[in-house]
Formats: sequence, structure tokens, C-alpha cells
Amino acid sequence: MKYVDEYRSAELARGLASEIAGLVRPGETWRVMEVCGGHTHAIYRHGLEDLLPPEVELVHGPGCPVCVIPMGRVDDAIALAEEPGVTLATFGDMMRVPGGRGSLLEAKARGADVRMVYSPLDALALAAKLPDRRVIFFAIGFETTAPATAVTLLRARAQATPNFAVFCNHVTIEPPLRAILETPGLRVDAFIGPGHVSTVIGTDAYRFIPEEYGRPVAVSAFEPVDLLQSIAMLLRQRAEGRCEVENQYTRVVRREGNARALAAINETMELRDEFEWRGLGTIPGSAMRLRPAFAEWDAEELYTIPGVRIEDPKACRCGEVLTGQIKPWECGVFGTACTPERPLGTCMVSSEGACAAFYAYGRLRRPAEEPVGA
Amino acid sequence: MTELAPERCITCSDEAVEAEVVAVDGLEAVVRVAGAEERVGVDLVPDAAPGDLLLCHAGIALERIESRTEGARS
Repeated sequence: MKYVDEYRSAELARGLASEIAGLVRPGETWRVMEVCGGHTHAIYRHGLEDLLPPEVELVHGPGCPVCVIPMGRVDDAIALAEEPGVTLATFGDMMRVPGGRGSLLEAKARGADVRMVYSPLDALALAAKLPDRRVIFFAIGFETTAPATAVTLLRARAQATPNFAVFCNHVTIEPPLRAILETPGLRVDAFIGPGHVSTVIGTDAYRFIPEEYGRPVAVSAFEPVDLLQSIAMLLRQRAEGRCEVENQYTRVVRREGNARALAAINETMELRDEFEWRGLGTIPGSAMRLRPAFAEWDAEELYTIPGVRIEDPKACRCGEVLTGQIKPWECGVFGTACTPERPLGTCMVSSEGACAAFYAYGRLRRPAEEPVGA
Repeated sequence: MTELAPERCITCSDEAVEAEVVAVDGLEAVVRVAGAEERVGVDLVPDAAPGDLLLCHAGIALERIESRTEGARS
């Protein structure tokens, strides 16, 4: 398949693996964080860790949009879904994320009208089909997904759709990266930057990482050859004494991002003062809400949101997984009390979550001597 | 031919995928992904034309994909 086959070439992958092996410093571990959950998924799916020398350790980051949503926001969405006359629409994974009162799927089983959609545009179309109900789109996601919500809001305004609203939980990538970079004792030497977020925000958005924190970045696409090439780029930077943002995903990503997408986000949304992240706590300026000009489509203006705050289950170590401090299998409930069928933590819900990805592809290859639930 | 990843992220069942434009009708385009056709919004890539390759996510096109002359090869 065009644009896929060439990026899964075993010959190219072997060549890059050999180059990487030649660039490491024997015995010196170099920790590379892949920020994006899509990268985590690809790394496990294609077994890329097996191609890397032991000196390169991959650390999974916070970039799964489902995984970072705190349980309380799910309860808030359930409360909205249970409002009379409301149909709540959201992406498939969000229906399975457990809140303190169960999941949206369970709320649906209790009688709430919860629908799965592929796009916020589908939710807007649903509103046209259900004129007697208010369709609320439960919006989550980083800057990759925010443009779809923004475009939908602009269309809702242009069409003067009165029975559509958005419960906005969009988050931004820079603040959690700063939070991770400032985690005491965190050992991350380099970053694989998210590809699709960068399509929107551009590669310049990461310049603070080399300039303020002294770590190189390679913005990467998602196929195995892409990821290996990004790791090689990062190691080459070290070998050549450079520390900068490089762009491996040149076929899509530009330095400045997509100006139209950024303008659509900026027209419809503004930064919240703060937002609670799973595993990272409350981070100032890290999420977006609708601008007052869109109040008539803002679920937070139309309804009373409970604002539920719930502690994560004590046994769940999603927070440490999300910040790269532990591997999924080091959590005591991984694969036992917490499985994709019955997830305890969000990292096990989304297929982009590190725990779900490791459960699906990696657990059978884990060396026997490594502890389970240590 | 390689199959497109069968395990797309089900966050939106549409983790940014590369799709070819078949037809454009105003702000909507019909695109072909892995042999199937679907509709996406082209509000952010307004000059999309049949034959273009687009990166699509959550029902909209995020960007046009440039001709592959760089990227995978070092």
C-alpha cells in the first residue's frame, strides 16, 4: 500500500537498527520518551524494542488522550448524559473509561442516551436528526483532535444549530511536557515528538525542550521505519554535539503547523486557568474551554457540571506509567485486576494506552526474570 | 500490498489516517481509505482536489501529505 509498505520495509528497518547500534555508547543507557500513545502502540505492535540495543530504553509518555482524563470528568459526562432530553455523543474509547460511577457504557445500559461517533461532525449531524433532543459532544483529545471540534462549532454557528453543544475537555501538549521535564529525578535523555499533534502546532512548538531543558526532539511519524529513523536522528544529534528539534515526519509536518487549524481552535476555544490530569495533577493553562462567543453551544454554560474530583484507585499506577517512571508490568494490578476487558485505569482502556499496548503485544515477550507487580 | 493497520486507535476509530481524495463537494470530500470510501470535512484544507493525499483525523482532513521524496530514508 502506498505510504505504508515503504515505511515497514524490513531491509530499511534492519539498516536503521544497525546504524542505531553503532551510535550508542556501550554500557551507557539512553532513555528516549515517546510522547504519543500512537507511537507506544506502534512500538509494541511492531516489536521495535527487540531491534534496539540494550543501551536505548524507550519510555512511554503521557500522550494518550483517553489516558490523561481524570475519573471525575467521566462522572461529569455521565451527569450530562443523564440530564433530561440529552443525547451524549463521544468517541468509542471514552464510553469504556471508568469513572467513580461506572462508565458511560454502563450509564447507557441504565437508560442514558449515549452514542458512539467517529467525529464531532457526526454528533452535529445527529443533532439535525434529533431536533427534540440536545446532542452534547464529549470532546477529548490533544491539538490533533481539537481542530475537528473547532470546525464543528464553526459549522454549528454557521448553520445556527440550536440543539448541539460541546463538553470541552481538549488538552494541550506543552504543559504536560514541561511538567514531566520538571519531575524531580526524571531520567529522560531525548524525546520522540508526537506526529499528528505536530501537524497542527508545528515543530517550532517544541523548541523549548532543547533550548530550556537541553534535550533533543525528533518529531516522528508512526510506521516502524519512521520511529527507528527518529531514534537514529536523536542519537546522531548526540554524536554530533547538537541539541535541537528535528522533523522526521516531513511528508506532513511543517515548522509552523497548520495555520487554519490553529485559527479555528483560537476562534472557538481559550485556555482554562487549570485542568486536572490523570497522573500529573493539576496543571495551569493545560486545557481549553469554549470562548464566551460560543456560550450557546457550551455544555458548561447550559448545564450545571458537578465538577467531580475522584482519587484514582490506589492499586492503579497509571500516573507513574504516564510519566515514564514505571513500565506497565511493574503495576501490581497489570494483567490481573486490570485488563482490557475490565480496565481499572485509563492506560488499559485505550489501545494507545501503554498498559493496553503492552498487554496486547508485549507481555508474552517480557523476560521471565523481570518482576510482575514489583 | 500491505494491509492497513487493523488495530486503529479506537479513541476515535480514526487515528490520523492517510486517505486519497476521490471527490470534493464544498466543505466535504469523499476519500478512499484502505479500499473503503468515507466522507471527511476539508474545512482546514480548502483547496483539496481529487488525487490529493490527506491526513485525516476524527472526520476532518488535517493536512495535505506531500509527495514522498523524503522522510523514510536517511
